Amino acid sequence: MSLLSSFLEHLEAIGTGLKYLFFSKRMTVRYPEVVIELRPGYRGMIRWHKERCICCSMCARICPAAAIRMYRIPGEKKMRPGINYQRCIFCGFCVDICPTDALEYTTTHDVAFEKLEDMVYPPDKFDREWVSPALEEGARKLKVEFDEEWGLKHVPE
Amino acid sequence: MWLELIIRLLLSPYIFAPLIYPGLVTVLVILLTLIWLERKFAAKVQLRYGPLYVAKHIGGAPQLLADAIRFMFQEVIVPRDADKVPFLLAPVLAMSFGILPIVFIPAAPGFAGILINYSLPAALALSAFMPITIILMAWSANNKFTIHGGVREAFVTIAYEIALFVSALSMSMLYGSLSLQDIVEKQALVPGILLNPLAAFTFFVAMLMSAGKLPFDIAEGEQEIVAGPYTEYTGILYGLVMGAGYVQLYVASLIFTELFLGGWHPFFEALGELYPPLGGIALFLKTYLVLAFAVFLRCVYGRYRIDHALRIGWRRLIPLSILALLLSLGLRFVGVMV
Repeated sequence: MSLLSSFLEHLEAIGTGLKYLFFSKRMTVRYPEVVIELRPGYRGMIRWHKERCICCSMCARICPAAAIRMYRIPGEKKMRPGINYQRCIFCGFCVDICPTDALEYTTTHDVAFEKLEDMVYPPDKFDREWVSPALEEGARKLKVEFDEEWGLKHVPE
Repeated sequence: MWLELIIRLLLSPYIFAPLIYPGLVTVLVILLTLIWLERKFAAKVQLRYGPLYVAKHIGGAPQLLADAIRFMFQEVIVPRDADKVPFLLAPVLAMSFGILPIVFIPAAPGFAGILINYSLPAALALSAFMPITIILMAWSANNKFTIHGGVREAFVTIAYEIALFVSALSMSMLYGSLSLQDIVEKQALVPGILLNPLAAFTFFVAMLMSAGKLPFDIAEGEQEIVAGPYTEYTGILYGLVMGAGYVQLYVASLIFTELFLGGWHPFFEALGELYPPLGGIALFLKTYLVLAFAVFLRCVYGRYRIDHALRIGWRRLIPLSILALLLSLGLRFVGVMV
C-alpha cells in the first residue's frame, strides 16, 4: 500500500504546484515601470553635505577600500572629501564615523556609468542629490508590507 | 489551373500532414510557445515574472524567437578532440528522428503522411531511435561530462522503454488494432484513460522519462555534469539538441492523446467535412494541454537521482505496465471492447 500512499503524495505535490500557479501573488515587480521604495536604512549611494562638513578627514581615514580621499580645492585652506565608486564597497563606515552627519546614505542604488572616469566624484560633484533613472522616467513607487496571507505584499504609496 | 494544382497538392495529406499539421510548422509553433510557457509557469510558481522584456505587453512571448536568432548568429565551436563528423551529424539526426514519427500519426481520419495499419508500433519504433543519437553525441564530443551523460541516457533508456511499449501495446490489445486511427475511432464514446488508467499513468511517466524532462532530466543533469551529452554544443547545434527533447515530448503527447484521450473526437464532424485537419483542432488542443502539464511538472519536482529513476523504471513502471496489459486482457475478456 506504500505505492498508493506515495501516489497520493505526488498528487498533493502537484496540487500545491497548481495552487501556486493560479492563486499566487508575485514578489518581484516590473522594474523600470515600477520601483519598490526602500527603507531609510538602505545603504545606497552616499551623499555629502558641504555646509555640515568640518573637514576632519575621518571618512578618508576609516575608508577600508580607500575610496574616499581628500581633495584640495583652489582658494580654500582645508581639504574636502571626494569619493571614487570604482573602489567603494558600500560598507558605510564613513557615514557612521562622520561627527556632524555630513555624509548620509540615500536609497538610490540603480545608477549606471558609461565611463570609468564618471565614477570618480570630487567634492563639487559629491555634494549633489542622487536621482534614480527609473524614477526620473516616471516609475510608479510601491511599498512592501507584511501580509498575513501572502507573506509580502506590494501596496502603492 | 496551375494554382489550383499547387493548392490541391499542398492540401493533400501526403504534403499537408508532414509539412504543416501535425508536422513541421506545428512543431515550430509548439517549440516557440511551449518553452516560453514552461518558463512562465516556473516563474509564476516561484512568484516571479519570467521572460518579459522582449515584448512587454504580451508578456515576452517572442523571447524564444529572439533566442533562436541569437543561436543562429552564435559561433559553432567544434572541440579539437571531438570526432567531427558524428559530432556535427548527431544533432541533425536527433531532430530528424524526433520529427519522423509524425508521418505515421494521423491528425484526422485517414489523414496522415503515411497511412498504414501498423502506425502505433512504427511511430514508437522511430522515436526509439532518439537515445542512440544522444549517445552518439555524447561519445563523439569526447569529454568526461558528455560521456557521463551518455551512459546515464543509456541506463534510463532501458528503464523506460519497456514500460512505454508495453503500456502502449496494452491499449492496442484492448482495442484489437495496431493502427492509431482505428484506436481513436473506437474511443468515440469512452476515452481510453477511463478504461485503462493504469496504462495511461505508466505511459505518461515513461513519456516524461523518454523526453528527458524534469523530474527525469538525468542525462542532462545540469547541477552535476554541466549539460550532459549537450555540453560541447554551441550556437544552432545547441538549439537543435534542446529542441529535439521538446519534439520528442510533442510526439509522445500526440500518441498519448490518441491512445488515451480520444484523439480528434469531440467536434470532428462539424468542421471535418470542410477540410479533415480542421477537425483535428481538438487533437491539437488536447495535445497542448498534455504538453503544458508535462512542462508544468518542472515547477513541482526536483530531479530524481539516477538509481531512484532506475528503481522507478524497473520496479514500478514495468510491473505496472504488465498489470495494465492484464487489465486490458480482462476488459477484452468480459467484452467491453469488441
